[in-house]
Amino acid sequence: MRTRGKVKGLRQTEVLVIGGGPAGLSASLEAASLGCQVTLVDSDLALGGQLIKQTHKFFGSKDERAGTRGFKISEILLEELERYKDRVKVHMNCTATGFYREDGVVSCVIGEDEYFRIKPGKIVMATGAQERLLPFPNNHLPGVYGAGAVQTLMNVYGVAPGKRVLMVGAGNIGLIVSYQLMQAGVEIAGIVEAMDRVGGYWVHAAKVRRMGVPIYLRHTIKEALGDRVVAGAVIQEIDDRFQPVGKEIQIDVDIICMAVGLTPTCELLWQAGCEMVFVPQLCGHVAQRDLFMRTSHPDIWVAGDAAGIEEASAAMVEGRIAGVGVARSLGKDDSSEHSKRLEEYRRRLADLRGGEVGQKICQGLECCTVNEWGV
Amino acid sequence: MFWRRTADVVVIGAGVQGCSIAYNLAKMGVKDIVVLEKGTICSGSTGRCGAGIRAQWGTEMNCRFGLAAVEKFEQLHDELGMDCGLNQSGYLMVAYKDSEFEQLQKSMKLQNSLGINTRVVTYDEAKEICPGLAAEDAVGFTFHERDGHADPFLTTFAYMEAAKRLGVEFLRFTEVTDVKTVAGRVAGVATNRGDIDAPVVVNAAGGYSQFIAKMAGVEIPNLSERHEILITEPVEPGVCPPMLMSFSGNYYIQQRPHGSIIGGCSPEGHPQDYDLGNSWDFLEMMSRTFVRLLPRTKGVRVVRQWSGLYNMTPDRQPVLCEADNVKGFFLSCGYSGHGFMFGPISGELLAQLILGQEPWIPIGMLHYSRFERGELLIEPAVV
Repeated sequence: MRTRGKVKGLRQTEVLVIGGGPAGLSASLEAASLGCQVTLVDSDLALGGQLIKQTHKFFGSKDERAGTRGFKISEILLEELERYKDRVKVHMNCTATGFYREDGVVSCVIGEDEYFRIKPGKIVMATGAQERLLPFPNNHLPGVYGAGAVQTLMNVYGVAPGKRVLMVGAGNIGLIVSYQLMQAGVEIAGIVEAMDRVGGYWVHAAKVRRMGVPIYLRHTIKEALGDRVVAGAVIQEIDDRFQPVGKEIQIDVDIICMAVGLTPTCELLWQAGCEMVFVPQLCGHVAQRDLFMRTSHPDIWVAGDAAGIEEASAAMVEGRIAGVGVARSLGKDDSSEHSKRLEEYRRRLADLRGGEVGQKICQGLECCTVNEWGV
Repeated sequence: MFWRRTADVVVIGAGVQGCSIAYNLAKMGVKDIVVLEKGTICSGSTGRCGAGIRAQWGTEMNCRFGLAAVEKFEQLHDELGMDCGLNQSGYLMVAYKDSEFEQLQKSMKLQNSLGINTRVVTYDEAKEICPGLAAEDAVGFTFHERDGHADPFLTTFAYMEAAKRLGVEFLRFTEVTDVKTVAGRVAGVATNRGDIDAPVVVNAAGGYSQFIAKMAGVEIPNLSERHEILITEPVEPGVCPPMLMSFSGNYYIQQRPHGSIIGGCSPEGHPQDYDLGNSWDFLEMMSRTFVRLLPRTKGVRVVRQWSGLYNMTPDRQPVLCEADNVKGFFLSCGYSGHGFMFGPISGELLAQLILGQEPWIPIGMLHYSRFERGELLIEPAVV
């Protein structure tokens, strides 16, 4: 451990929450409601994370506002945040660029200009997920998008990304974004899916099929065509070992949209030296955590997609649990209140994970959850 | 899994030193060489280094090594059959103090006497050499145009591939846990995967070489210091073609072919904890140096920062020799931050020593016994 004198210009906060999506907002609210002083940083221009572009109604459970559209849920959380504005300081357009484990300092940049560092007592990493992309020739051409980016363009900024889209991936995101693109007047030339069946909910798949969109099962994208921008795509059937077979099909599109899954954003957790484990069911490397969502680093909690890819409903509950965990470790409020809330949140998580999809999540969680870290 | 029980030569460490030694031995006809690496090829100090190559040194021995290294790098592509990413745009040394400039000029005289055409350049010339430079506060510059930098990964991989073609075997994730000796001779190594008997063992373990030496019962005073370094996002090439270096300015900076700029410095109090962590004070200090020295980097993002180990000796010169008390145990370590550039030469020299030949550059003074005798060869020109 390096020793150093008092550092000038080092900000302090009891709790730093990194990421203002459903998990980070919930963690901030929960910690603030239990008396913590919270600093919330988010790299985007608005709080809410992916919620603000989700125009579809949520599934899940009533506790987590099933039936409400994603962006509405974000508005509800922000109203709640308003009540704690004296306890939660928010920095928008602010990226946490590094965690320095020798002294626990986090470096942040607001926009392109303002740099500061902050020394939090506790940290909740709610950094969300990143979109996966596939390697194929010309995948760098303008016009190759992640589905999340397309959704942001359309639903947040009101911009149609192009005229004719090839969607890669028939999971829920691929299906929902395809449908939303059609609602925005964009043509879907087809949906390519490597597996032999649709991965997303049947109700979403049925919607796009009813509108005549072909779904190419057991197909993959071979390459993007075009000189300076995307002008088309080549797709091909694949066999059981994902090797290309059969003839190539050329499709004229100006947009190739990749909806091939997400992976947890965990750079800061690696930098912090948290114990990490690769869990396929959670879509990547995730931090080992206890039942309070605390990582192996005694001052760092994790919540939401950063802790494993799941849905926003579960992210919100995990955020709540992390918020309670942080407050508890800071000795805030009385422990009976903590226990009452934890019991409630754990019940809600169990409800959310009760279904078929939840089984896979639960299997994954078994690989990365400990009861409680030894002190 | 097949496990070899014997080898003619075991090389410990697959950085540039280990790969170069293995290649040179194989080239000189040695069969059955195995290189053991506890991580992946080039994952230690070589792959983390600033990658400079220079002949501008302050001691005769280093000048000879440096010039030989420059000449070697100039034809390494042809010899190894693979591009090593050589950029020969020179080293521009920047002095901010009169005494420092005097020292540079003193070194230059020595260099010139050894056939190294270092020259003093004016600030205007310096700006021609390095268009992005802002150093009004400098008092003088020296420049040697054959200096430069190379890609440490490409260079090490080129050695490895060439060595493989000559039959050398590389075992990754194979950590040496003991060096076995019998009656004053090395007998082999124990690893996490099994033992290998060998009459010759080479310690090229970089930052961990003192531990390997100790396993053989050889005491060397090497210490490993953590040094930090960072890289920016790309800017247009041509901002900083040469390696910029200053001892009092405390920096070395170079631009990669794709435009990113790499820079490191020597902050006070290098931790010796083998932690390979990073610090924000380095980030801030180095960023300030970048912007002051290369104003084009203002507002440019830092992509990544990392650290590596300098394996330091008391006189900042390497240990390149056979152990006194353990015959067959050879050491190539303690390069004190310039092991990458010397690798092509030291590999050749050590291979000669191992085969009982006279190294073509005398290396007798690089025996570690110099430390006990107090005959240090102090090198002034180190960042």
